Amino acid sequence: MDVILAAINDAFTWQALLAIVIGTWAGIIIGGLPGLGSVVGLTIFLPFTFGMDVITSMALLIGVYCGSVYGGSITAILINTPGTPQSAATTFDGYPMTQQGRVDEALGWATFASFFGGVLSCVLLIFCAPQLAKFAVNFGSIEVFALVCLAMLCIVGISRGSLLKGLVCGMMGFFFSTVGSDPITGADRFTFGTYALSSGLDLIPVVVGAFALSEVFVRFSARDEEATTIPEARLRFPNLREIGRRLIELVRGSFIGSFVGALPGTGAAAAAFISYAAAQKLSPRRANLGKGEPDGIIASESSNNAVTGSAFIPTLALGIPGDVVTAMMMGAMVIHGITPGVRLMVDQAQTVYALFVVLIIVNVAMLVLSKPSIGLFRYLFKLPLGFVMGGIVMFSFIGAVSVRGNPLDLVVAALTGILAYVLRRGGYPLAPLVIGMVLGPELESSLRRGLLISRGDFFSFFTHSGIATTLFALIGLFLVWTTVAGVLDWRAKIAARREPVSPSSSRA
Amino acid sequence: MTSLRYSLAALALIGATHSAVAADNLDIIVPFAAGGATDIVARSFEPIFSQQLGVTSVVRNVAGASATVGTAEVANSEGNPNIIGYEPAGALSIQPSLKKLPYGPDSFTYICRTVSNPMFLMVSKSSDIESFKQLVEESQEYPFLYGSSGPGTLPHLAMAALTVNSDLKAEHVPYSGSGPAMNALAGNEIQIMADTETILENYDLRPLAVFAENRVEGYPDVPTMQELGLAEMDFAVWQGVVAPKGISEERTQQYAEACKATVESDKFKSFADKAKADIAYLGPDEFKAFVQKRFAANKQVLKDAGLTP
Repeated sequence: MDVILAAINDAFTWQALLAIVIGTWAGIIIGGLPGLGSVVGLTIFLPFTFGMDVITSMALLIGVYCGSVYGGSITAILINTPGTPQSAATTFDGYPMTQQGRVDEALGWATFASFFGGVLSCVLLIFCAPQLAKFAVNFGSIEVFALVCLAMLCIVGISRGSLLKGLVCGMMGFFFSTVGSDPITGADRFTFGTYALSSGLDLIPVVVGAFALSEVFVRFSARDEEATTIPEARLRFPNLREIGRRLIELVRGSFIGSFVGALPGTGAAAAAFISYAAAQKLSPRRANLGKGEPDGIIASESSNNAVTGSAFIPTLALGIPGDVVTAMMMGAMVIHGITPGVRLMVDQAQTVYALFVVLIIVNVAMLVLSKPSIGLFRYLFKLPLGFVMGGIVMFSFIGAVSVRGNPLDLVVAALTGILAYVLRRGGYPLAPLVIGMVLGPELESSLRRGLLISRGDFFSFFTHSGIATTLFALIGLFLVWTTVAGVLDWRAKIAARREPVSPSSSRA
Repeated sequence: MTSLRYSLAALALIGATHSAVAADNLDIIVPFAAGGATDIVARSFEPIFSQQLGVTSVVRNVAGASATVGTAEVANSEGNPNIIGYEPAGALSIQPSLKKLPYGPDSFTYICRTVSNPMFLMVSKSSDIESFKQLVEESQEYPFLYGSSGPGTLPHLAMAALTVNSDLKAEHVPYSGSGPAMNALAGNEIQIMADTETILENYDLRPLAVFAENRVEGYPDVPTMQELGLAEMDFAVWQGVVAPKGISEERTQQYAEACKATVESDKFKSFADKAKADIAYLGPDEFKAFVQKRFAANKQVLKDAGLTP
């Protein structure tokens, strides 16, 4: 108990609180600007932390991290351009709501779901970190392969209209992810002898091209139409009754996010897609998903912000960073003499508890700061459309190149933008392309590692462990369900087409 | 509208001044993304180093392709006295033998080696294997799996050399970094891993042997490979500073002196202690000879293990 009180004391210093406010606000803005995401935000702030004490520097970085994951949803909803890849799934329902004039509601749900997911994952982190970490260790390559296959199935759900077009885009994204070094042998693939390509295509330039640049092109080509004006950003929080009605969605999204975040190497973008796929099968309002249904925003935003808390589970319990972002946090801890590892919870209990307190304050700060931040975006988007679009193009390119300082990424972003524009004109959905890009590398390397482990026997994957068997069974169930639903749909359509004819035929 | 124009003009000015000053700035290339293990050491090294040198310096992260993209940028800046690279062992001594790169071991002016940590052969503490002999015996029936932080990395090479030089039967499973590999070790997906003391301590593993000439301080009971009756195997994770070819003798000397003063400073020492990095300074000539020796040795390992033709 003394430790917890001392930890709360550590977290409530004016330096730490100031760091939280600055970090969270900057995070929301950085996350909201297309191209600049969590990693860029943390890179900007990392050098400032060298002179601070441990708690203050972690407060600043956690603020930037959580803020940026939330901030991505603002532009996703307003202009159909996710500020970060983590918020790509928020566009599916967020932007349709904007087009229907429900901006305030969409932003309200996104904000509240982010807060809810963040806090719930903090609670899980505080009470079940060791247990969850132990469970996550059971997720070996084969289990991860099964999980990623399950997540890939959400391509089926989001390619409304034409499954074939969705699959084409998914495969294209998957193909993009195979460019560069082979993850198992290290050999170069699809580089055509060009050295610059051997580092592969990074996710950020592709996402920036696919969403931000293509959106700019689309708006430019339709600039005289009414639909291209950006609606005024407002925020209306859902009331208690509305929250109660969708509580189960919030809880499911948060749990999925918390769990996926606890697995090393997956991350917030994958969590959001998995959660969205789950909502498509389980939400009572699933028929409306993709047409402007708050459940879709909830699924995406509650899960991606739940990752912010649970990504610390493997980091703190085992010293294994869950993603790039927590790896950077671990680096910051090392600078301050805290070595993450199996004994961290025991040796540095006070610091760890103070981190938990900071995480909760950050989520509250995010809720409070959402209004002024959205106000700022409202002001920005009131500028003439040309300036807004110019700004988006500029930040997209800055973001694309700053991830790893490779000039090739500018070319990749520009080419993806043109490709994405052509695809959008042809009615191809772009989200599957990003899903292929996000999940492709994990799908490939987990499959190939799994084959190394099972000595080339694919069929032993199904019986490798209880978890693997369950996940593969779920995939089977999903496929059967989708097929049956598809057939029923088809028969209903045929029946509907016959109906006007049938009365006359019965008379005859 | 006018305010917007003014701010655009101000932005342009900032951009212009930046490029004007940039000529005197020292670029320190770190070939990994910000926040990684090498980056942290480089960022602690940078402020002291630039103070010694009396210049303003900027750490630039140029990541990708097993750290070779950033390394290539240093090599391609021939004659530029204002760029150096803070380099990991793999990019200098392994990658040039593995694939076609725009640089080789002769493409640099070597400045200094900063830190070096010997690698240990280790297994999970939950396993019942206590010695290398037992490990070899148990591997005869069913080969073990060893993890690495990626194909062609030092953990991979050390284990490949060990399987070639001993009766140990083990196969390679690469992961996307030490973290995921440790997760796999904890879940018993792999059984063996070769890595440094940091990993050993952080994850509570059991060391069976050390890839070094002599036993390591703090681990008096861990035998060297030679003591186990095997050929000499020397694998360490080291980092160092290189500059492009074609810079003046005087500049090289300045860099070398600044580097020596940096690694001997109390500030860097206390950092290295926290990060469990062993300071192991080598001057320009010794470092050059060291890299060339390691390059040749690693090339042989890659060939013996069938990883390169």
